[in-house]
Amino acid sequence: MANAESAHVVLPVPAPYTGRQEIDLDIVRELVSHFTFDDFEEAQELILSALQEVNEHFGWVSPEAAQIVAQQLNTTVNRVFGLLTFYADFRTEPRGHHHMLICHGMACYVMGSQALVQEVQDRFGIDDGETTGDLQISIQVVNGCLGVCDKAPVVKIDDDYHGPVTPEELTSLLHRAVEGHGAMREERMSNGQRSHG
Amino acid sequence: MVNAPMDSRLTRLESREDFLELRARAQSRWQNLWEGGQTVVSVGIGSSSIAKGALTVLDTCRAELGNVATIREVSGNGAFWMEPWIEVRRPGEPPVVYGQIEPTDVVAVFNGECDDLAVGVRGDTPLGNIPSLNEHPFFKDQLQVISRNAGVIEPDSIEDAIARGAYDGYFKVLFELSAEEAIAEVTAANVRGRGGGGFPAGIKWESGRKARVTERYVVCNSHEGEPNVYKDRHLHECDPHRILEGILIACIVCGAERGYNYIGGEYPLAIRRFRQAVADAERLGLIGKNVLGTGKNVAFRVRTGGGAYICGEASAMMFSIMGVRGQPRTKPPRSVEEGLWKRPTIANNTETLANIPDIIVNGGEWFAGLGTESSKGTKLMTVQGPLARHGVVEVEMGMTLRQLLDNVFGGMAEGYTFKGVQTGGVSAGPLTDQHLDIPVDFDSLGDVGGMLGSGGWVIFDESVNVVDFARYLTAFNRYESCSKCVPCRLGNPALVEILDRIRFGRGTMDDLTLIQRTSKHIIELSLCGLGQVAPVPLLGMMEHFPDEFAHAVKYGTVAAPPLSLAAD
Repeated sequence: MANAESAHVVLPVPAPYTGRQEIDLDIVRELVSHFTFDDFEEAQELILSALQEVNEHFGWVSPEAAQIVAQQLNTTVNRVFGLLTFYADFRTEPRGHHHMLICHGMACYVMGSQALVQEVQDRFGIDDGETTGDLQISIQVVNGCLGVCDKAPVVKIDDDYHGPVTPEELTSLLHRAVEGHGAMREERMSNGQRSHG
Repeated sequence: MVNAPMDSRLTRLESREDFLELRARAQSRWQNLWEGGQTVVSVGIGSSSIAKGALTVLDTCRAELGNVATIREVSGNGAFWMEPWIEVRRPGEPPVVYGQIEPTDVVAVFNGECDDLAVGVRGDTPLGNIPSLNEHPFFKDQLQVISRNAGVIEPDSIEDAIARGAYDGYFKVLFELSAEEAIAEVTAANVRGRGGGGFPAGIKWESGRKARVTERYVVCNSHEGEPNVYKDRHLHECDPHRILEGILIACIVCGAERGYNYIGGEYPLAIRRFRQAVADAERLGLIGKNVLGTGKNVAFRVRTGGGAYICGEASAMMFSIMGVRGQPRTKPPRSVEEGLWKRPTIANNTETLANIPDIIVNGGEWFAGLGTESSKGTKLMTVQGPLARHGVVEVEMGMTLRQLLDNVFGGMAEGYTFKGVQTGGVSAGPLTDQHLDIPVDFDSLGDVGGMLGSGGWVIFDESVNVVDFARYLTAFNRYESCSKCVPCRLGNPALVEILDRIRFGRGTMDDLTLIQRTSKHIIELSLCGLGQVAPVPLLGMMEHFPDEFAHAVKYGTVAAPPLSLAAD
């Protein structure tokens, strides 16, 4: 108890990000424009695929983007948002400049991934699906499996896999990501582009 | 040029003769590749090897060796422990596989200066002092049937696949077998569902074919949301045409107008390679109207999931395809009567469908000769944890657990002591030391509280506290519950709460009884398979490790509740 508390006292913990960020809607329109359909059934089958494309491009789906998907496929935004909040892959909040996946599959759990989740909570003050206040880092705890079990416990920061990692290594990896590639990422973000692996 | 882009040669096949001609051409091209005078370098690219930098190795090969050798991008071969690997075939010699390559090693390996990195020779004949790969303990006890093309063909090349026998079964059901004969073969093979249920595919097909509505579908369930299964991903990455062929055969035999493949969205490479396979098959006219001039029509759609474990359940999967929340429904009607868009739908697991082409080509008798009395054929297995070797393996049903762990996976990694193995993903109990001589098949494991499931098992060692582990497994089910029915939606959080109480040292022995009672409610009252088995891992842990639970009740397992957990 004493340790956990003192860790919180010593380290400055940024509050989770709650502000607004916009998505360029013209890009969304272009992304979903090729989702054409012959009948009502096919249109419904395409909702998830269209959302996936938007989510993959921007890292999240804003309500405005969801509205465009709904229009394209002749459905309502309520329906679209119902899907966004049900399926774990979708995010309805912006991602940080650096997105980290912590594999929390069974193999990684056995090899100690719980300590990694705890480390991020203690050091960076964010939990699954949250983004740090400076918009630098967001994490996602993968309940499934990244499928690189021989490297367990595995994390994926942006496009690179790291494993096996200890909590200390994880912190330094994150610091290095923020310092090293910050400038490059800034540029990419301002172009409205986002890499995905 | 052997490695010329194939697109220009993929023209629509109009008849039986066209297909036979293409196959002959593909076979001679394949033979020429391995018997000709050029050097062939193949790099194994799969999700797991990409994570270890295999793409850089491939780029290096293309840059440094592109002028002197044919560079091929093949798939991973299941052996994660030797990734990234490259395979070099020199004129007149069998192909040699080199493992754990750094990009800087590529040229030296190519020049034959790094024989210490050689893992083995693909094929049966050794080369000098490099042994055959089949003699390696990892491969020796495997029986590769559906994964035999892994690491051999280029997954993006339909010609490679056809040269190795793809679409032969499809050809057979189009021209040689009647639907009844084909179903008879599948029934004779007694191939059971590989997704975990173990339901015989032949019976499902039969009832699908007899359905009164003529508009019907075949759906391949390639969604794996379990926290440790990636056999279907592996299969998609290494041999997409085999899966596609299985689905197309099912469509023709069951008279379905359209086939679907539902793939988990978290597998970008698998999706890309499978879409490529579908596009190539469409270009050849194997999918579409009037296939090979037979007058039969088959359409095909690829749909991707969004990362919900529950979508592995057949009715939830169909809802997901239809673009709504993936929540199971009450049965009956079963999906073969009323499935996708309320029409009869035959849903099979990827691995089941991948077995179909071989069954059609070699006959049901052949398949029934593999495996045990009640479980035929082979099984893809992914076992993880602190093991010496990792990977996706294919073993004959009936191999003992000990053989599987010690021979194929090389036993425990150094410094770890075996404590147990969590079987059947998150749907069954653990097995311990005393169970290691049980054969791996559908039925034997169930007798002792284990489960074959979809073949994703995890070994845990002495450092893992089973109470914490049980909490993790229960929390997984809590997270993945679709929230449709009350016992599962409220029961699983209740179990997690009780377990946390015990873990933080505030539990009593009554809590263990409470767990039993709550679990009983969840198991008996839940709507779908997820809820009905959700507490089983916890109950299994309690059964096999009662002392640890009693100890935890007394002393707890964690010093203090982590602050952030207390809130959830």
